[in-house]
Amino acid sequence: MLAAGKAFFFDGVTSAKRLVRIELAPDVLVIRDDEHRDVLARWRYDRLDHLVAPSGLLRLGEIGAAVPARLEVRDPALATAIDEASVPVDRSGARERRSRMKVVGWSVGAVAVLVLAAVFGVPALADKIAPLVPLRAELWLGKAVDGQVRKMLDTGGASGPFECGAGAGEGAGRAALVKLVGKLEKAAALSIPLDAKVVRRGEANAVALPGGHIYVYEGLIAKSENADEVAGIIAHEIGHVAHRDGTRALLQSAGLSFLFGMLLGDFVGGSAVVIGARAVLRSSYTREVESAADRYAVDLMSRAGGDQRALAVVLNRIAGAIHPGMDILRDHPDTQARVKLINDLATASAPQPLLEPSEWAALKRICTGR
Amino acid sequence: MTAVTSFDAAPPVDPPPARPANGVIFNGVEDVFWRLLTRGAVLLLVTLGVYRFWLQTDVRRFLWNNTEIAGEHLEYIGTARELLLGFLVAIVFLAPLYAIFGLASLATEWVQQLAGLFSLVALAVLGQFAVYRARRYRLSRTVYRGIRFHQTGSAWRYAVCAIFWWGMIGMTLGLAYPWAQASLERFKIRNTWYGDLRGEFAGSGTRLFFRGVLLWFVAVAPFVLSLIVAGAMFDGNLAGEAVKQGTRSGANALDAAGTGPAAAAAILGALWLVIAIAVLYPAFQAMVLRWWISGLRFGELSATSHLRTGTVYGLYWRFVWMSLLLAAVVGVVGFVAVKTVFSTTASAGGQRLPFEVVEISLAIGFYVVTALAYSTIYQATVKLPFWRHGFESVELKNVEVLDRVTAGPATGSPVGEGFADALHVGGI
Repeated sequence: MLAAGKAFFFDGVTSAKRLVRIELAPDVLVIRDDEHRDVLARWRYDRLDHLVAPSGLLRLGEIGAAVPARLEVRDPALATAIDEASVPVDRSGARERRSRMKVVGWSVGAVAVLVLAAVFGVPALADKIAPLVPLRAELWLGKAVDGQVRKMLDTGGASGPFECGAGAGEGAGRAALVKLVGKLEKAAALSIPLDAKVVRRGEANAVALPGGHIYVYEGLIAKSENADEVAGIIAHEIGHVAHRDGTRALLQSAGLSFLFGMLLGDFVGGSAVVIGARAVLRSSYTREVESAADRYAVDLMSRAGGDQRALAVVLNRIAGAIHPGMDILRDHPDTQARVKLINDLATASAPQPLLEPSEWAALKRICTGR
Repeated sequence: MTAVTSFDAAPPVDPPPARPANGVIFNGVEDVFWRLLTRGAVLLLVTLGVYRFWLQTDVRRFLWNNTEIAGEHLEYIGTARELLLGFLVAIVFLAPLYAIFGLASLATEWVQQLAGLFSLVALAVLGQFAVYRARRYRLSRTVYRGIRFHQTGSAWRYAVCAIFWWGMIGMTLGLAYPWAQASLERFKIRNTWYGDLRGEFAGSGTRLFFRGVLLWFVAVAPFVLSLIVAGAMFDGNLAGEAVKQGTRSGANALDAAGTGPAAAAAILGALWLVIAIAVLYPAFQAMVLRWWISGLRFGELSATSHLRTGTVYGLYWRFVWMSLLLAAVVGVVGFVAVKTVFSTTASAGGQRLPFEVVEISLAIGFYVVTALAYSTIYQATVKLPFWRHGFESVELKNVEVLDRVTAGPATGSPVGEGFADALHVGGI
């Protein structure tokens, strides 16, 4: 084994480059000034820090040293000798590769945990937290969301104010709506006061927001053929209110934003992953939520004495008009599956129409007045 | 002692060419960098970006450790662990901030607007703060001849100055850029230390202005002019009336207000701006880099840059044609993939759901792979050559100063550049 050789040394205190003589003592590397022979440093082999350097150069430091003193060895024979004497010095790079593999392994594990947290953890957490949100907080939240949604929906293109029922000749329709919602609200016995209105939007749709706000679109009233169909839809939306789905959705989206937006952070294309993952995950949450609201609607309609199957009928009619598309991004489960669920749950009963024919006729005209 | 031999499995390197002792040489081999980046891109994909701390550290090690100044190598001693830790710490600070902004967005309108404005300002200031702190981290992890660099100065002060100057640049349509750059660089370089040797920036904003003002006249002035012309053609009052009148009768009134020609002038101007910037940007970059390097001083040590504008055009040209090649490949592969997926989906009939998961995942995966490929090409064909040519264009004077430097105080954040990463403003 080679016991000595020459190298260059920087002592970490001054920038002077010194030619030194290296001696490989049994436990330590002794660094002596080549000229004066005085000892500049003694580095234990197990404290040697093998640093990244251009090929052809072995660069060493001392682990845990206060200053970055450096020893630069260009003599291959001497470098080999040091490599053999010291455990931390690893010129083959095997140790580095092993540690890198470990990093990759842990990272993949972390990503798996993150995905699991997003798929199972976030909805579970939102389910647990949503019932704990105090009523007052939900009402406040509802007011804020209501303001934003209203701004979004009210595009101002329609021929009248956003809300129906205030214009000339619309009063009777409004009274019918109040009666219909009142019957359902009484049967539902919610802890939140309901605030249901018909709004001027052409689509056949309805939405429920946190805090008991329900919007039924004008287009839906137009597509419905009797009061129980409208009631079925409203009952479905009351299901969302009773399950506090709006609050839950808000909590879920906040949780997903945090998980994917902040933790994954910034790598090229990362934002696409975030947006895609959020869209897919959110709609998978809502699918279960919609089924639950359907079940609630059937139950509520039976308690209110209305037609339990009316919801299925109107859903079927509306679905006929919708083009099949990216189902997973659509919030509602396959209409056929929903219709089947509703019909399976419905019990045999002799439903009483929830509104008189004249009231239904008035409700039909709630947005037109004529 | 034998001649220099490689210790690795790689073929032995040629003995280094004879070079002046006052020069800077970059020894990095481009193939090695490509390999490093490609492997990094794959691992980024697999780990959904968590690997970025390790890749960034590898890239810096490659750049620093292959840079030889007056015969000695730079050394990057930062670790990925520090970057990761810094990122996690930054998250802890930023999460409540984001939560507050999120809650504020649910409040009443004026609170929303106030919060929106505040968050914009706060993120801008925090971003500049992060830039300065990240620079401090990088310098403190840079070792040369056994002595560390370090940075002093308040990051908050820098952030405020930077925001002020960027505001000035915006208000003067770019004309304030030279003075902004000179002022900010003076701040940065004066607070940069190599051991006990303090940096000084001698670049003059006025000089940069006179060198670059021609570029401004070619690129930006026509755009400004077109906006003025458009403004003169466009009768604001008439148009306002038209909007009030509603859709049908308003259309004629809008014509009368000169909307058509005005819009045409503005669009032409904007088009000119985009093309001119694309064509002149390399020249601008070369000019600024030359000016910046030539302004650097460390005590008696001074630098002069001989970077050629043609070199910068050359490297961008290479980036452009490789990007076009990638676009062609992406186009063909994408087309084939879409066709295959659609035919499979169509034949599958009713059971659509799993296929849509596959479709969305494929689309996202495809996008991410493309983005990663572009980023890899950019790093290898723009970033690396800039580093190489930037350094190799340098001529140093009074290099003997470097033999007599004493170590300064050991400063530097132990937690990497967290805010810069969390706020997406990281540099090299």
